[in-house]
Amino acid sequence: MTHTDQPVRQPRPLVPVMLALLGALMTWGLAWGAAQAPQVGQPAPPFAIADTAGKTWNLADLKGKTVILEWTNDGCPYVRKHYGGGNMQALQREATAAGKVWLTVISSAPGNQGHVTAAAADQLTAERKAAPSAVLLDPTGTMGRAYGAKTTPHLFVIDPAGTLVYMGAIDDRPSSDPADLPGARNYVRAALADLAAGRPLADAVTRPYGCSVKY
Amino acid sequence: MHLFRPRAPGGAVLCSVLRDALRSGCSLAAWAMAWPALLLAPLLAWGNPVSTENVTAHLLAEHNPTVPGQPLELLLSLTIRPGWHTYWRNPGDSGEAPRIDWTLPPGVSAGALQFPAPALIRVGPLANFGYSGRALHPVRLSIPADWPLGEPIPVRAQAHWLVCEEHCVPESAVLELTLNTAAAAGPSDPQAQEAFAQARAGLPVGTLAGATLTPTPGGLRLSLPRAGLGEAPTAVRFFPWSWGLIEPAADQPWRLAADRLELDLTPGETAGTADPGGLLTLTGADGAVRSFEVDATRVLPAQTPPRITAPSAPALGLPLALGLAFLGGLILNLMPCVFPVLAIKALSLAGQGGLSARQRGAHGLAYTAGVLVFFAALTAVLLAVRAGGTAIGWGFQLQYPPFVAIMAYVFLVLGLSLAGAVTLGGRLMGLAGGQVGGGSAGAFGTGALAALVAAPCTAPFMGAALGYALTLAWPLALAILLALGLGLAAPFLALSLTPGLARRLPRPGAWMEHLKQLLAFPMFATAAWLLWVLSVQTGPAGLALVLAGMLAASFGLWARERTAMAGRSWRRVGEGAALAGLAAALWLGFATAGSPTPQQSAAPAAPQAGLAAQPYTPARLTQARTQGRPVFVNMTAAWCITCLVNERVALRATSVAAAFRAADLLYLKGDWTGRDPQIGDYLAGFGRTGVPLYVYYPAGGEPRVLPQILTPASVLAALGSAVGAPR
Repeated sequence: MTHTDQPVRQPRPLVPVMLALLGALMTWGLAWGAAQAPQVGQPAPPFAIADTAGKTWNLADLKGKTVILEWTNDGCPYVRKHYGGGNMQALQREATAAGKVWLTVISSAPGNQGHVTAAAADQLTAERKAAPSAVLLDPTGTMGRAYGAKTTPHLFVIDPAGTLVYMGAIDDRPSSDPADLPGARNYVRAALADLAAGRPLADAVTRPYGCSVKY
Repeated sequence: MHLFRPRAPGGAVLCSVLRDALRSGCSLAAWAMAWPALLLAPLLAWGNPVSTENVTAHLLAEHNPTVPGQPLELLLSLTIRPGWHTYWRNPGDSGEAPRIDWTLPPGVSAGALQFPAPALIRVGPLANFGYSGRALHPVRLSIPADWPLGEPIPVRAQAHWLVCEEHCVPESAVLELTLNTAAAAGPSDPQAQEAFAQARAGLPVGTLAGATLTPTPGGLRLSLPRAGLGEAPTAVRFFPWSWGLIEPAADQPWRLAADRLELDLTPGETAGTADPGGLLTLTGADGAVRSFEVDATRVLPAQTPPRITAPSAPALGLPLALGLAFLGGLILNLMPCVFPVLAIKALSLAGQGGLSARQRGAHGLAYTAGVLVFFAALTAVLLAVRAGGTAIGWGFQLQYPPFVAIMAYVFLVLGLSLAGAVTLGGRLMGLAGGQVGGGSAGAFGTGALAALVAAPCTAPFMGAALGYALTLAWPLALAILLALGLGLAAPFLALSLTPGLARRLPRPGAWMEHLKQLLAFPMFATAAWLLWVLSVQTGPAGLALVLAGMLAASFGLWARERTAMAGRSWRRVGEGAALAGLAAALWLGFATAGSPTPQQSAAPAAPQAGLAAQPYTPARLTQARTQGRPVFVNMTAAWCITCLVNERVALRATSVAAAFRAADLLYLKGDWTGRDPQIGDYLAGFGRTGVPLYVYYPAGGEPRVLPQILTPASVLAALGSAVGAPR
């Protein structure tokens, strides 16, 4: 056998080097790619989460409808301000009567204030004569974190195209005092009116006020 | 100072409401009306101090008796139950700052409640700004000079605060204080004295002027003059006055530069509009915390991008953008780094007479897939890094010296292989050795390799366009880059799918070997160019490392080549030498990362025919702007061919230099050959992720962006039209 046609096994060092380089670049890139906070004017973060009856609500299924998300914690004095005076319930009725979807979200972790079982949540809804389309249970805080929900109450409005159009407080009186309810500008009611009239929202982002969400 | 009641749980509250109603002479009806208030604020209490469920509130006066006409300091002291906290003026993610409703005699007035430096209180993923232990809020009381001496001043302060542990309780108390008046101020008791001293220690020691807040891609940078900050801190935190400027819970990486302290902040919901000021706290080596009010001004970017995009980057329709990207990809095939690879690959098809049309087609498709997967991966990395807030653009790879070094090795080795000095094995042989090796997998690898070797060439010629693409929404950016990849793959794909085309290729022969050897020279040229870029980035030290690496790699590959036909043990030695050589080369290549930092001045400046440029710094720009001097900013990089051509053709033209001199213009040049956050920020301010960028600032006028391809006429026109524009 002559050595010219002897098959020579030769190393191919460049391919692994390049793959390693690419791999390193990608890892580096992924490590930097942090989760982004939701932004008004951008698609609302998706969710698929069960309500107190075990039914799963998926944002994708709600295309074509205006969706209002309300973070709550029944032990929080700021939530009590709006439920005690019937303010929140009235807004829920207005919205659902107009064909909008109102989802109340509880993101309190087990053992923390505001964490309730499905039955207790239903009981709270009945006691408070609340009228949401559903109460979503988010004990892991996944949905809360996706939306950057920080306070109770914290409200979000999503338009029929699935775009986040409002995030922030329920009104412009950041206190726990029910005496501040009359005369307050309700940002959510204003946002829904602007949306219905096809106007740009006067206030699209406001400072949410209340207790922290008990993740 | 009288003390009504030390504690005020339920029953005591009822008593005090009752007493208050009786004292104010209210009817029973009025008392009944007070009931809802009682239910809503169950912890309202009267006295001084007053203890609620979680807080003991106390209103202290610095001097009693006090002198009319002289301001008097009062102090609201909240002693908080362990584990609970109250809030700063901006409470952070949730909560509410304390406030006071005053009832004062006519003429007497109280100033705003002051807030000492807060602490960061983390609550799960959220954060609050507030106080634990004891919160001390000074407040200034003004007493008219004509207040009758000896007449006491009744002070009634209804304080409201929110106090939280895991859950929150709104509490309030009415604090009453009677101030006596006299011609000379009385002494304050030692306990009050201590509280006042502690309160003052927590207040800001001064205001820092000259702070700037600059948007960076995905973040905000707060930069403060270091002078006045005192000793180097061990911890730094910025607390914004307003909600929405930053994410309260986010970390704030900081660093001390020669004359600045810089913090990287995570923008909040209203980062573009919120008050940019706040409070900066510095923890010293001894643990003591000092705070400064920060009066930050926003620096240019925020308002500039919308008006900039109009002249320089007309909004392309998606089909047009995709078409142009495809065309760009086609042109890439002719680039010196890609053409040899492609030419050899194409000729190999002609040489493979035995391949069926189907096999040929499969090869073409696999090759295309290789190109596209590489481009998709690169795009994903770029977008992910950008989402993470790092300022990079297309061409960022070339800012990293080890990448440049390794690409130089790749081109050297490919050149050696084409020249016939070394034989590469397996699939690489398919690439360089004129065979379609390794089937579809080999073709896929070749595609990825073609895209990889194209990368250094795309940046210099198309960096700006691709950088623009990357600022679009990610599906658009991906579509544009994939169109570019498709363009790159198209000629070979067409060749492999069209048997007629393949048949027209010249017959293989000895000329192919000559062509192959000839094509080694564009490869060596690319390697030489990369070495020059590296020399700009790392100076002679880095260059020496990589040249040594090239020597090691070449020797290793030569040794293997020499022993390839020898006996087994010699072959082992040869292969060992090759591996050792390449390993040494890689190690030397990565060592360039530690070489001296990039030199701003070296880059493309060289002997200047035109106006001498000064290195760009934000300070130089601001200074010239405030002096009313026109400024021309040129952002460039050694690896940006477009930039070099523009300088040679337009900026160094005598007519342009004369116009610059006539206008007493400051010419600032930023060199982005290496990474420089200041330049990255500047580019981001104009919505760019890459160079070139030319901006002309007329004296006192709005900046205008020049096109990316310059001619002397276009520069003169920009200068001229700006001069004629109304001031």
